[in-house]
Amino acid sequence: MSDLLAARAQMGTSLAFHIIFAALGVGLPLLMCISEGLALRTKNPEWMALTRRWARASAILFAIGAVSGTILSFELGLLWPTWIKFAGSVVGPAFAFEGFAFFLEAIFLGLYLYGWDRLTPRAHWLCSFPIWISGLLSAWFIVSANSWMNTPAGFVIKNGKVTNIDPIQAMFNPSTPYETIHMILACYVATGFGVAAVYGWSMLRGKRDGYRRKGLMLALAIGAIAIPLQIISGDANARFLNDAQPAKLAAMEGLFQTTKGAPLQIGGLADPATGKVYYALEIPRGLSWLATFDANATIRGLDSFPVNDRPNPLPVHTSFDGMVASGFFALFTGWLFWLLYFLRKRKLPQNRLLLICIVIAGPLSFLAIELGWMVTELGRQPWVIYGYLRTADAVTTAPWLNISFLVFTVIYVILAIALIFFLLRLARTPLPKMEWAELAAGQARSQQQQMPV
Amino acid sequence: MTLAYVILTILWLSLIAYAVLGGADFGAGFWDLLYIGNKDVSKRRHEFINHALGPVWEANHVWLIFLIVGLFTAFPSVFSTLSIVLFLPFTLALIGIVLRGAAFIFRVYGTRSDKYGAIVWGTVFSFASIITPFILGASAAAVASGRIRVTSAPVQADMTGSTWLTPFAIVVGLMAIALCAVLSSVYLSVEAKQAQDKELEDMFRLRAIIAGAVTAVLGALGLYLSTSEDPLLWQGLLGHAIPVVIATMVVGLATAAALFMRHYRIARVLVIIETAGLLGSWGISQLPYLIPPDVTVESAANSQSVLEVLLIGTIIGMVLLLPSLYYLFSVFKLPYPAPGKEREAKNSSVKSV
Ligand code: HDD
Ligand code: HEM
Ligand code: HEM
Repeated sequence: MSDLLAARAQMGTSLAFHIIFAALGVGLPLLMCISEGLALRTKNPEWMALTRRWARASAILFAIGAVSGTILSFELGLLWPTWIKFAGSVVGPAFAFEGFAFFLEAIFLGLYLYGWDRLTPRAHWLCSFPIWISGLLSAWFIVSANSWMNTPAGFVIKNGKVTNIDPIQAMFNPSTPYETIHMILACYVATGFGVAAVYGWSMLRGKRDGYRRKGLMLALAIGAIAIPLQIISGDANARFLNDAQPAKLAAMEGLFQTTKGAPLQIGGLADPATGKVYYALEIPRGLSWLATFDANATIRGLDSFPVNDRPNPLPVHTSFDGMVASGFFALFTGWLFWLLYFLRKRKLPQNRLLLICIVIAGPLSFLAIELGWMVTELGRQPWVIYGYLRTADAVTTAPWLNISFLVFTVIYVILAIALIFFLLRLARTPLPKMEWAELAAGQARSQQQQMPV
Repeated sequence: MTLAYVILTILWLSLIAYAVLGGADFGAGFWDLLYIGNKDVSKRRHEFINHALGPVWEANHVWLIFLIVGLFTAFPSVFSTLSIVLFLPFTLALIGIVLRGAAFIFRVYGTRSDKYGAIVWGTVFSFASIITPFILGASAAAVASGRIRVTSAPVQADMTGSTWLTPFAIVVGLMAIALCAVLSSVYLSVEAKQAQDKELEDMFRLRAIIAGAVTAVLGALGLYLSTSEDPLLWQGLLGHAIPVVIATMVVGLATAAALFMRHYRIARVLVIIETAGLLGSWGISQLPYLIPPDVTVESAANSQSVLEVLLIGTIIGMVLLLPSLYYLFSVFKLPYPAPGKEREAKNSSVKSV
């Protein structure tokens, strides 16, 4: 493997790993905040038990999130020193502010996870607010930095030097509103459907008690609210790309030739060698219409870019369609559930097929996040800062990147195995007695109370 | 003082915060490994450390993140250069940090039911806790030593250790381990006394004194080596940093005295000042250079507009952060009442997650 390829592979692996925990880090605190709030209001021990379980899982998930995020911060310099010199000098503050958001998150997380028997119930619940708010903020800051890589702004290049730097303008670059909204919604979609999948699974195996039903309903409520917004915002993203990054759009859609009245190609393999898309379902003029609302508009194809400025459409197109398909699958599943629920006078639908769909929608939502990032990152190639710095020029001169890639991959595999092991064990621990006095924060503490159940 | 120096001071304070908070976490791992003996005490000590670290380790860890992002925002070229030259030690330190964080959380979860997992992750935790401060210390020494040259030619990765495995760097690395050990044993003696566990208290006290003595010896050795290996640092220490150097030495002695007389809370304050003094004297001694002898603070600073935004953001951030941090520590580490804090929990002792 060449050093460049090894660096890209290591960066991609690290980000793909981190994003799972990042999404949960944004989503889970909101779930906990709502369920603990409901618990305090209704004094229903099942809500409290749910909250405690989620908190327990969060303790591990957040730790791995912090660890994998730390790897990333180092890698920005270790693998891409030229990039960090450029990006740091322009959008550095976005990373620094993200650091503050992490800080607040970590502090209140410590209070929340370890403070069950030290805080009053109300204080404990209040601690969940800064967690989800700062999770949201950190996602906003980091994605705005990524948006800057796609549509660089806030500086001028004079005689090869970066000058006239305006970091605020850099953070609020043209892509920022599109990307940040889409990503933050994605966190709620993925957490919602992901958690729902867990309870769907236990229902399929016959455990249909009130505790699991509550878990399923709350998670699916969040997922079902977020998913239509997600699709609408994704559509806006794509339309924006038509102006901002036409090469990415062409790769996403597998459009090789600039075309008037371009068709929408769904699925299929976009082969850059032959310049054709095989096995795709074609909707005439669909792309032109979607991208501009004018069925006869001209859309730039890959051929309008110099050969060495073209991203590879094969993975980009496939990833894009995978994301969209996952999104629609989640939409139908989530909405079918609520439709049936209200049609049947608020009785939880327990149809096997629907439950199976719910179990599938969870992993698919996480897959959609991964694929969406592949679209963004691979579609930006060969640039790392679009139009200014090529990936090949950004990579470090240090040797042994293959070994580094190998070592970090092993670390991720070990972390993943250990994590799954501990989470499964957590899932198998018997549920606590559903009694309010046993579960609420700051209450009588018997032996069992000393830990979140 | 220019804006660049203001930001540098903030970064240096974060470094000190990481050292006194995160460093103690490393030290806890160090003691974990060394201890052989009575099973029961060992188990209690283990749980004690888990309990002491649980709520705060992630917050402690974020200082490091803050340091990194602050460095590449305020001094982008410095971060870039160091990332290339010190590629290998940074990668190793990173692996250590990662394994340590993961191992700690897995160990806490592992202790309750499966012994084997707890032992494996416990060992990983300890080794990572020793290697990481060593490498970070050695890397700091590499920077201070003036062996990293930044000229018009592109810098190269140092894969053989000619900058970061010199005798001087090794001594500084060892000293970093010893310092972490001192920090953690001083903090743990405070907590042991609070929990009224006399046996643990005595144990941590003794260790604090021994580790403190080792730190002092290594410090003297490092100073001696710097006369020949690192004249720049030596001159700096004798020059504008001399007041801080002397103060640090005095505080070191005072810490030992406080420990000896079992005034643990005072010792805790003193050891924090001691650490700040050590890092501070290094920082002051190498001014105006960031990477001596070629890169100065002013030459490496990012543009004024970015530094301004960074400073304003940092002030806003600190206004939110410091009270929160104080609240965290007052709930878990301080004996005073705080709003929302349960009263009975005041003298609760060992508890796991
Ligand atoms: C739950 C996950 C999820 C779902 C269901 C969707 N997306 Fe998405 N998408 C993401 C998760 C995501 C993401 C991982 O969050 C990305 C990567 C970068 C970003 O900002 O969001 C993304 C990027 C992304 C981009 C590239 C943005 C850029 O590079 O500037 C486009 C054009 C779309 N999406 C469009 C859509 C459309 C039309 C969807 C309709 C179903 C859709 N997404 C569903
Ligand atoms: C967390 C979700 C993300 C995922 C899954 C992701 C995925 C990837 C992948 C697959 C690559 C390799 C692309 C290639 O070289 O072909 C990459 C590269 C990179 N990403 Fe991302 N990315 C994410 C977010 C971010 C963010 C938020 C930033 C910065 C703020 C970022 C910065 C970079 C950089 C600097 C590179 C290396 C240069 C390059 O290959 O273009 N990424 N990412
Ligand atoms: C779109 C991509 C990203 C999103 C949405 C995101 C979001 C988050 C969130 C919500 C957390 C805290 C939750 C948790 O610990 O599980 C987190 C942790 C972290 N992330 Fe990311 N992140 C992204 C990419 C990155 C990148 C590119 C970096 C590298 C600079 C990074 C660095 C970190 C660090 C250092 C932490 C640990 C903070 C701590 O110690 O608590 N993240 N991220």
